[in-house]
Amino acid sequence: MPAQAQGNAEAAKGKVSMCIGCHGIPMYKTAFPEVYSVPMIAGQSPDYIVKALQAYRAGDRSHPTMQGIAKGLSDQDMADVAAYYGGAAKAGK
Amino acid sequence: MKRFVVFALAACFAAPTMAAGDAASGKQKSQACAACHGPDGNAPTGPDFPRLAGQHYDYLLRALRDYKSGARKNPIMSGQMSGLSTQDMADLAAYFANEKGTLHVMR
Repeated sequence: MPAQAQGNAEAAKGKVSMCIGCHGIPMYKTAFPEVYSVPMIAGQSPDYIVKALQAYRAGDRSHPTMQGIAKGLSDQDMADVAAYYGGAAKAGK
Repeated sequence: MKRFVVFALAACFAAPTMAAGDAASGKQKSQACAACHGPDGNAPTGPDFPRLAGQHYDYLLRALRDYKSGARKNPIMSGQMSGLSTQDMADLAAYFANEKGTLHVMR
């Protein structure tokens, strides 16, 4: 396994525009290929977010939209996005 | 009449077409999960294990089904799937979805 890129949450702010359309909407559901709720990723373990993105990029996870998005991300992008969402403390609730 | 309504309602819930998850049963079945995801699904024991507590029920169920079918590949998780029925997966998803956790929606 290659050395993991160091994530920068600040740098992610210019990279999460593709995420918020689905993951930024409460109770949003996928429409294709099957209907189910898009997972909540804020507050998730950052290393798991990286692993999930790598699995989509490698084809080890099957969602077509996420595969397409992950293929456009560098290792640095993945680490930054993971730091952004994984570092998010729960607001309110 | 009242008795009939009660009976009709009971019949509806007794024979669901899709397995509905039962959180209490899921808790009973969750010991193996706790080893990596923490006792309530909110304290993973490894940095790259996901938090499950409070995640959406249908997403968790979908993840388990994908591990079982091989659509989602992970050596640890696929190893857990052989003993799980559809009902077990629904119960586990219901249990973890029901727990309080840190997961939330953020833009």
